[in-house]
Amino acid sequence: MRPQKLLHLPAHKCTVGCPLLDRFLAGGIPCNSITELVAENATGKTQFCLQLVLYAQLPPSRGGLSASSLYIHTEFPFPLRRLRQLSRAFRSSHPDHPVADPCDRVFVQGVYTADELVDALPKIELFLIHSRSRFPLKVIVIDSIAALFRSDFDNTVLDLRRRSSLFFKIAGGLKSLAKRFGVAVVVTNQVVDLIEGDKGNGVRVGNLSALYSSGRPVVPALGLAWANCVNSRLFLSRDDDGGDGDVDGSLRKKRRRISVVFAPHLPHSSSEFVITTEGVFGR
Amino acid sequence: MEVGMLPISASKRGKLLAAGYTTLHSISRASPSHLATDIGVSEDEACEILKYASQTSSMDPSIESSNASTLHGGQTAWTMLNEEKFATRITTSCGDIDNILGGGITCKEVTELGGVPGIGKTQIGIQLAVNVQIPPEYGGLGGKAIYIDTEGSFMVERVLQIAEACIEDMSEYSHHFHNNVQDCEVKLHPNSILENIFYFRVCSYTEQIALVNYLDKFIEEHKDVKIIILDSVTFHFRQDFDDMALRTRLLSEMALKLMKLARKFCLAVVLLNQVTTKYIEGSYQLTLALGDSWSHSCTNRIVLFWNGDERHAYIDKSPSLKSASAVYSVTTRGIRNSNSSCKRIKMV
Repeated sequence: MRPQKLLHLPAHKCTVGCPLLDRFLAGGIPCNSITELVAENATGKTQFCLQLVLYAQLPPSRGGLSASSLYIHTEFPFPLRRLRQLSRAFRSSHPDHPVADPCDRVFVQGVYTADELVDALPKIELFLIHSRSRFPLKVIVIDSIAALFRSDFDNTVLDLRRRSSLFFKIAGGLKSLAKRFGVAVVVTNQVVDLIEGDKGNGVRVGNLSALYSSGRPVVPALGLAWANCVNSRLFLSRDDDGGDGDVDGSLRKKRRRISVVFAPHLPHSSSEFVITTEGVFGR
Repeated sequence: MEVGMLPISASKRGKLLAAGYTTLHSISRASPSHLATDIGVSEDEACEILKYASQTSSMDPSIESSNASTLHGGQTAWTMLNEEKFATRITTSCGDIDNILGGGITCKEVTELGGVPGIGKTQIGIQLAVNVQIPPEYGGLGGKAIYIDTEGSFMVERVLQIAEACIEDMSEYSHHFHNNVQDCEVKLHPNSILENIFYFRVCSYTEQIALVNYLDKFIEEHKDVKIIILDSVTFHFRQDFDDMALRTRLLSEMALKLMKLARKFCLAVVLLNQVTTKYIEGSYQLTLALGDSWSHSCTNRIVLFWNGDERHAYIDKSPSLKSASAVYSVTTRGIRNSNSSCKRIKMV
């Protein structure tokens, strides 16, 4: 057992595809760590992840990792059409990219239950060991983790404890893979409504005293135990009342915001972003 | 009885016992005249008794001298008090927290810090790993740090930020207090601060236990380590253990080893813990993880929590410190005092 040399510790980050968002994230999504994106439905988590798995293929000189990605989806179907659309936009903005079809570097796996995910971890490890090609696997996305735990568990103490220990097992396995292979892990999570006066749910975690999305107070799903498992948490929110001056009679612009709830390397900050046909971009 | 070993007459022995002198220790502390009046013999005879007493105690190794104690390795409370007064402390860079801790994190003790995610546990851990290296000229220990990372939250860029801020603060301090320009040169560089942090990453509870067992040998070879930070002690132990008794045993063994390391090498051990909800008396309350038996394993326990928009540190358990809470903040430069206008140290 020997201590690691801190100055030689690899600390790569993966660009998310927009320089403004990269600056917000101090370089991008860090490797060797689990980053969680928490948001309500249709806020942009999946868009973010799809863009990430494409831009991870860029060389490190452009902020990428020269890597292929594994996209584990738990909600069906996989958004293949949107991935193709983003891939066309990616290729048009990076015409000298060596890979003919960036979608070839994205490996997709569907998972139905939490136990399936636990069983998949050794297979992912084998995949990582054997993926020493030109584009090694360096990004794992799980979209979304909350869906795995929604149905199998009742609200009893025993089931909640079983659920908690599964969290730590999965997170422990993912972090171990992240450390051994320098992988960036991104996990998406959903939100649940915060009921007033419900003490069990409303524990303040992180920089924001309350999380709001679509004007409602919300709380990330899976509770305090899962919050202890991730390294960083980013909250995406949307607001349906339009901006000032941007509104014409019929169209209301949705304002979307990304904020840092907690992260070991990021201060409390937030940024606006938009979703277009070309992808996710900061404003 | 020890008095029985003295080569004196039985009547003198009887007088000694009747006067209350049962051990050689008690005889040797008495002056000859005192002894003479107490047992009713002449001063010469008293001197003789004392001579025999000192001879016997020096010959017999099982009889402790008056300066040692009755048990090997024990200390008198007086020596311990003196030691505690000069016990070294490591500053947290937040004046208010230092105040409630009596100067900072104490060496020779195990301190546990627990709180919700995002409250600043890893930040405090990194700050301490940097602050332990402050040279003695600036009031620090000039030691090295061992950082055991179980969660992967240790980001080198953040350590660099905190290290640079610490060096800037030291330069500012020396500019205020030293006229000699040469003295103002702070000889530390952020890279050397990084080199003095021994960083270990463990990925399972077996690795964690193995590493704690190995630390004794490691610190023997690196005697200038002055702090061990375990971030976090909980993570690998919250997976399902089929046998919870095994978990308790492993945790208490680990705690014992860490306490021994703290005492043996005079260093501080800081354990970072997570929180969990516990169902007490009909409602869910936040408590530190790892259960009730773990709460006995550390000397001091500090709970970090949110109060409105402020971060608070509260001394939950300590044998020597008063229950108090302090406000702190996490800035780009590290842990600092909070700027809020209504901050105060609350004595509970």
